[in-house]
Amino acid sequence: MKTYLKLNNDVLNRYNTTGQLELEKDREATRRYFLEYVNVRLRYFIDIEEKIRYLIEEGYYEKEFLEQYDLEFIKRLYKKAYDYNFRFPSFMSASKFYDSYAMKSRDGEEILEKYEDRIVIIALYLAQGDTELAERAVEAMMKAYQPATPTALNSGKKARGELVSCFKLSMDDSMNSIAENIGYCLELSRLGGGVGVNLTDLRPLGDPIKGIANRASGVIPVAKLLENSFSYSNQLGQRNGSGVAYLNIFHADIENFISSKKPNADDKIRLATLSTGIILPSIFFELMKQDKDIVLFSPYDIYQEYGKRMSEISITEMYYELLDNPNIRKIKRLNARKLYTEVKKAQFESGYPFEIFDDNVNEVHPLKGIGRVQMSNLCTEILQLQQKSIITDQDEPNKYGLDVSCNLGSIDIHEASQVDDFGRLVDTAMRLLTNVSQMTYIKNVPSVAKANKLMHSVGLGVMNLHGHLVTQGIEYGSKESIEFIDAFMEALNYYSLKSSMEIAKERGETFYKFEESEYANGKYFDSYVNKAANVIKPKVTQALGSVPIITSNMWEQLAQEVKKYGLYNSYRIAIPPTGSISYIRSCTASIAPCTERVEVRDYADSRTIYPMPYLTNDNAHLYVEAYDVNPYDLIDLYAAAQKHVDQGISMTLYVTDAWTTEQLAKVYVYAWIRGIKSVYYVRQRLQTLEECVACQI
Amino acid sequence: MSNLIYEAVNWNKPTSELSQIFWDQQWKQIWFPEEIAVSKDVKQWQSFEHQETYKKVFAGLTLLDTVQTNIGMNQIATYATDLQEKAVFTVFGAFEAIHAKSYSYIFTTLCTNAEIDELFEWVKKNEYLQYKANKIGDIYKGIETENPESLWKAMFSSVMLESFLFYSGFFYPLYLGGQGILRNAAEVISLILRDESIHGVAVGFFAQNLFKQFKKEKQDELKIWGYELLLDLYQNEMSYTDDIYAETGLSPDVKVYVRYNANKALMNVGFEAMFPEEEVNPIVMNGIRNEGSTYDFFSQKGSSYAKAKVAPITDDTFRFNNRM
Repeated sequence: MKTYLKLNNDVLNRYNTTGQLELEKDREATRRYFLEYVNVRLRYFIDIEEKIRYLIEEGYYEKEFLEQYDLEFIKRLYKKAYDYNFRFPSFMSASKFYDSYAMKSRDGEEILEKYEDRIVIIALYLAQGDTELAERAVEAMMKAYQPATPTALNSGKKARGELVSCFKLSMDDSMNSIAENIGYCLELSRLGGGVGVNLTDLRPLGDPIKGIANRASGVIPVAKLLENSFSYSNQLGQRNGSGVAYLNIFHADIENFISSKKPNADDKIRLATLSTGIILPSIFFELMKQDKDIVLFSPYDIYQEYGKRMSEISITEMYYELLDNPNIRKIKRLNARKLYTEVKKAQFESGYPFEIFDDNVNEVHPLKGIGRVQMSNLCTEILQLQQKSIITDQDEPNKYGLDVSCNLGSIDIHEASQVDDFGRLVDTAMRLLTNVSQMTYIKNVPSVAKANKLMHSVGLGVMNLHGHLVTQGIEYGSKESIEFIDAFMEALNYYSLKSSMEIAKERGETFYKFEESEYANGKYFDSYVNKAANVIKPKVTQALGSVPIITSNMWEQLAQEVKKYGLYNSYRIAIPPTGSISYIRSCTASIAPCTERVEVRDYADSRTIYPMPYLTNDNAHLYVEAYDVNPYDLIDLYAAAQKHVDQGISMTLYVTDAWTTEQLAKVYVYAWIRGIKSVYYVRQRLQTLEECVACQI
Repeated sequence: MSNLIYEAVNWNKPTSELSQIFWDQQWKQIWFPEEIAVSKDVKQWQSFEHQETYKKVFAGLTLLDTVQTNIGMNQIATYATDLQEKAVFTVFGAFEAIHAKSYSYIFTTLCTNAEIDELFEWVKKNEYLQYKANKIGDIYKGIETENPESLWKAMFSSVMLESFLFYSGFFYPLYLGGQGILRNAAEVISLILRDESIHGVAVGFFAQNLFKQFKKEKQDELKIWGYELLLDLYQNEMSYTDDIYAETGLSPDVKVYVRYNANKALMNVGFEAMFPEEEVNPIVMNGIRNEGSTYDFFSQKGSSYAKAKVAPITDDTFRFNNRM
């Protein structure tokens, strides 16, 4: 048996039996891991020159990007990275890096890269010959910035996947579009992507085809086709393909769609591996509040009557118009509360569907003059406008619209509060992300390639909030924690705008239709310019460290510069759930609370024990586990962050099986009221028998 | 025609302490083996070194679950006097049947038909397996009407089987699964374990209630009987462990685990632990945690989703007095 696994497991075992953390066991596990596993496999090179030469000659690294730099510079950059004296802070971080990220020989036997090597290669690759940016990239990544997994994993490799891995596609109500999009799904899944597909515009079950009634099969069979496409195209079996289908709650197929994830659903409609999400306009909540029925519609009627697709209109604005129009069929009437109870039941039993609050998204959408946000992605943090492609018959050219690829990276909040220049850190991150967007060319999905070229959208996120709060003695969900994330995200928003403006100024280019955005007309900045001065508690000021407080004057000035020079990136901020990347950096995930102080992480091939970062026997009480955090406080915290995020935040809710569907519904209603844009999974902790019996006997 | 008076089970009025809780908990945990993609283990299985041990471990577990379905829970349900408790035992029996079937599901996925047939023949021939099945089967069959002592003995044996004898088998998949080997089969085992731990606690709890009704002298007599049975089974279990784990070198680790669980079984029936505390292999200990471990959305099915408790949405759902 591998002794490091035993040592790593012992951390949890001791913690469970004695309540004491024995972190030296985890450190010993890391040490043994290097002795028994890493060091014996690490390929030895005489010097950097030989290493690079070997890796290029053997076809591991791409040659072209390295040739943009002179060797002396590359050597200096390696030295710079190694001078940080990086040590993996936990067994989890070390094993995750060497298992999944480090370059290995083709037979998997030799390890060819250490942590610092990977960082240098990412920097050189993304900087594209810009030595200053390459140096800044190493500084940022050795401290506080982490590109998303596909970028971190694939940069610089000759045999590589894409630098981005998350996509949004929009299907139209035609066989051409269905077939075309399934082709895209196969292609993107082959590249290792997670794909979101909006099915809202497809006509429902029983609708007419070519005027003949009762011919359409509805959205569920299409969802099944998607599911099968994703499982077929699974990167040589390395990972199950993943995708999510979205549907508007007013779509006539909604009932089947909601129950499709239940484990006991009919086999004909059951979606075993495809994720599901529903889009909820505010009118749904209004009708539910008044205990009214809702009416389900067919997108086919809407298109026939108004020339617009269901996802292109605001149902909230159009609802009564649709009801009054005799040409729009009222396909079904359902009690809103009962329907929403079904949604909650499905969430208890399967964790799905995700929810997107349509009007919360679109009311504050800075690009609302250009288009609507119609759906989200696999992790519900990407919220960008789309335009439908018209897929024609084979003898005519297609007219491509805009779809989305998301290109993400995250800043470690704890480290960011200690850097010398926070603005510079954000700027480095924005420039690296912008380069990724430029280097990405998904040629087989033209709508994605087109949008990428026009929109330059990126998604800068954050992680390690809970970890940082613990080091500052602040409890997650407290007033201080909310004040902290509010100020931190405001600063991130400010500097990402500033950076995007600088890039536009340097390149003399803005994103497509910038002049029609709320940034150009200045509306976006109104609430910032008119805000009262921030009053910040001393504890929060201390927690912010080197992160500046942004004043209304600063905002005013920035608004003018943006007006003058424009912005390069159409979208800038999105907070992803950060799985693997927070593990390699020993961070807590995203802005979420930890789920367990000592976490058990099951991957496809192993079980690893991960004590939360900075956890000691003295501060364990501050690491309140997610299931014990008041869900309303959690929502308040996310709402505070959301104000400063132009896209979305992956927000998971945590419940125990003691909850009822009504309690869960209430939390969602609260989230909707507080302006939250999306809710990701509902995670449930089963109470164990000891707990239940303990309170009885 | 006989002239008995049949009584209907009335769940509106609790007649047995905790029956409702055990019932709810068990149903909340419902699962089926087909939900777990054991086929993902096939690739690893083909190059797995100790196939023979692994197969025998599972065959042995199948026999225990079969005895528990066909005789154990049935007999206890028949002779238990409280109607709600009877219902709980019947439900437990149904879950035992799922367990027994789930091992077959694993066999079907990993082994050839000839191998499977051979294994079921091996079960019939292995003396230690047959010894424990007979020992406990006899006690089950020995329950008599109006003889609470015989019922208590059956309950005691049931707890020994579920909280103690299973674990020489559970050890191996947990030990391997914790190291990333045959993880999906291990997932099935962890779901079975989650059920067995309720059965152990529940039957043990009912046994304790019954035990309290006996006079002091009778209690002492039963205690001696109980410890003697445990020791007898323990000796057999040591030989069984040596027999099937010989080629792996894991026998000493398995034995520690068996003793650890023997102590837990004794505590379930309200008796003092018998073996001194020892350190169990931490990988195996972490395999028996019942809370949902952190769910990796791209990989395994998590074991932590369950039935919803439905309550209607009302006007109150939209009131947030303290927060708005």
